[in-house]
Amino acid sequence: MTVLGGFLGSGKTTLVNHLLRHADGKRIMVLVNDFGELPIDQDLIAAKDGNILTLANGCACCSMGADLYKAFAAALDYAPAPDHLLIEASGVAEPKRIANFARAEPDLTLNGVITMVDAVNFEKTRTDNRLSDIVEAQITGAHMLLLNKCDLVPTQDLEKCESVLRGFNGTAPLIRVEHGVLSADIFFGEDIKAGRLKEISEGSHTHTHEADFARWSVATDTEIDKAALRETLLQLPSSILRVKGIFRASGEDGLWIAHKVGAHIDISRLPTDSSFSGNTGFVAIGLSNQDFTTILDTAFQSIK
Amino acid sequence: MSAITVFSAKKIITMNPVRPHATHVAIRDGRVLATGTIEEISGWGDYQLDDSFADKVIMPGFVEGHCHLMAGGIWRYTYVGYQDRVDPDGRQWPGVKSLEEVLARLQEAEADLGPDDPLVAWGFDPIFLMDRRLDKNDLDSVSQNRPIAIIHSNFHLMTVNSASLSLANYVADMDIDGVAIGPDGTPNGELQEMAAMFPIMRRLGIDLRELGRTTRSLVDFGKVCNRVGVTTAADLINDLPDEDVAQMRVITDGSDYPIRLMSLLNGISQPAEETRERALELKAKSTEKLRLGAVKIITDGSIQGFTARLRWPHHYNGAPNGIWNIAPEQLNVLVSVLHEAGVQMHIHTNGDEAIEVALEALEQAKIKKNRPDLLHVLQHCQMADRAQFRKMKRLGVAANLFSNHIYYFGDKHYELTIGPDRALRMDACQSAIDYGVPFAIHSDAPVTPMAPLFTAWCAVNRLTESGKCLGEYERIGVSEALQAITLGAATTLHMDHEVGSIETGKWADFAILDDDPETIGAGKLKDVGIWGTVLAGEKHKIP
Repeated sequence: MTVLGGFLGSGKTTLVNHLLRHADGKRIMVLVNDFGELPIDQDLIAAKDGNILTLANGCACCSMGADLYKAFAAALDYAPAPDHLLIEASGVAEPKRIANFARAEPDLTLNGVITMVDAVNFEKTRTDNRLSDIVEAQITGAHMLLLNKCDLVPTQDLEKCESVLRGFNGTAPLIRVEHGVLSADIFFGEDIKAGRLKEISEGSHTHTHEADFARWSVATDTEIDKAALRETLLQLPSSILRVKGIFRASGEDGLWIAHKVGAHIDISRLPTDSSFSGNTGFVAIGLSNQDFTTILDTAFQSIK
Repeated sequence: MSAITVFSAKKIITMNPVRPHATHVAIRDGRVLATGTIEEISGWGDYQLDDSFADKVIMPGFVEGHCHLMAGGIWRYTYVGYQDRVDPDGRQWPGVKSLEEVLARLQEAEADLGPDDPLVAWGFDPIFLMDRRLDKNDLDSVSQNRPIAIIHSNFHLMTVNSASLSLANYVADMDIDGVAIGPDGTPNGELQEMAAMFPIMRRLGIDLRELGRTTRSLVDFGKVCNRVGVTTAADLINDLPDEDVAQMRVITDGSDYPIRLMSLLNGISQPAEETRERALELKAKSTEKLRLGAVKIITDGSIQGFTARLRWPHHYNGAPNGIWNIAPEQLNVLVSVLHEAGVQMHIHTNGDEAIEVALEALEQAKIKKNRPDLLHVLQHCQMADRAQFRKMKRLGVAANLFSNHIYYFGDKHYELTIGPDRALRMDACQSAIDYGVPFAIHSDAPVTPMAPLFTAWCAVNRLTESGKCLGEYERIGVSEALQAITLGAATTLHMDHEVGSIETGKWADFAILDDDPETIGAGKLKDVGIWGTVLAGEKHKIP
């Protein structure tokens, strides 16, 4: 489960629509907690059943209103079970509180809290004394920050905005976004329900580049010490946006899964009902810079 | 012409200042035909004299302006509260005064359950959390195998046994917010807030909202009202889907159903325009005993849960400010859209910042559109200061004050949440009177027990559970409190032309009392005995 937070007008709805449009076979269920305009583009909607909108590509969208209990119960009982649950938090919600549902509920895994910030109105909202504490909580509680509407703001304002954000939250990666568009694998991370981690090839590592993001992977069937792995993940710079891996842990049976987004690290046993059958190893995605590959190669060399 | 029935009484308190007291009331077609002496009434023609209330005191049926249908349904769970309560069927549930009594009550309930039923209890009082907290070991002594969940009286906490913990896989310290950890490093059974409680509630089938929806809940809710003299009650939030409305109409239409029920549409689960359309649609479905069309809007949380929105200087103990359920700018839009269309709003505001934001939204809406037909209501309105009451007066806004809070949570507010200065002005009935703000007082049942005479006692005496007077200035007189639980509450529901006083033309809805609340003494107001009620001239004796 991923929680998308951010104040009103920050562009959450646009991003959600983008992610649904590019779901690429993932079955995403969105719970919407804002009650403003209709959140899902009309052309995506295939059917409406009570509170639940179903989309032609297998995704679904459910309005949660003020009743989190009912919304989570509906999402968890939804058949077939979605691959991802995406919570679009209300503009005044503290996303961490919602993320607690995933931390507490055994049937859910928290895939991170992502907060979207509107570069145009950030300063105004942040200094409104009725909202400042809410906005602060949205930023400090995030594992990844998306600074949206970057095309509408002069560079110096953008930099000022970024430095304020870093002041509140130094561990979450900060990504500049325009028009609320971000690729799904950065937002959700790799999808293991598909049966394997993408891009891992036996005995080697690869990396691919697109404009601003770089991808990296390594295959390994070495047994890995969980504590050492946690420490390694913790030490990675915030330019490494997401890491996910499936591995054998020293002194333990079966397969384990690790994932990191920002400061959120989760290492747990791979559910026994998982259909995973690919190579074990790790994949990462990060901001494209010259050290990207070296950082990851070095980090994983030490624990292999 | 229909027959006239005349009730004689020891005293009739009418709440009509033109003739505040009478010895007789005449009823025709379910409505009050006349009040006065038998000589005055006989001018209307032949009548049937009914002396069954000759030694009783008759008041207008009480109006509970803020409660929830769940007050009926919650009784399917075992009551383990500190105060004595009576369930809808009249069974006395003495308050449990120690942890031992709590466990004994649970053991008793456990014996009656089927092998696969979970044991769920409610009403557990925070007073037991002062020295030693109830934990899983206590509950394991009741049952090792059967899942047990104890819902605390504030509905924000729960204590469960080991069998429940293992259902949710809460078996080790997994650093989950709200899952309390004991000295041995494992979860001790106490779960705080919805996120942590959810996995247990889901697995035990505890759905609090659903508790208000079944036929039995509606019937039980009517019984709860009847026992405390209430003839009109407002269910303050409901999703009101068509099938529920249809069911409510059938049940309330029954001549044995003892109350007029108002049910408010949840205003923050859909876009403003949809809420407006639905509210107008619902209004058209109203009947004499089911009132629909008003909207509830929840702005902040609760003071005792530290989730109310407070202005500077915020919480007394330094806790962070509370939460918004709707952003102030969204509230402005919603309030304007509903006001413009003539939809009455009941806006939940506990903290003074929430009150400020709600009043600003109402001010903007009222500047844009003059709707003198509408009286909007701030619900709870607990922390309003006198400037805010003056603003309510200027804007023509009413307040429904949560007087029961003074008794149940007043000590905590004084010591912990908001501190002495603001605790002393909480639920400020006298300030409402000073500035002429229409007001009611309420229970928010099942958060606190429904009993308007107890609520009136709270407003008159302002005593906390520990016996402290929380703000002498804001105490009001007995007659003012009686007005608040009748005509005052009817006014906040736009029903003051139909109920709330005993006068010609209004519904013959009465509370039938064993004692006289005007003379029993302010300290005993809560102890007035209740025989039952009359609704539209029909007697509903408490069974």
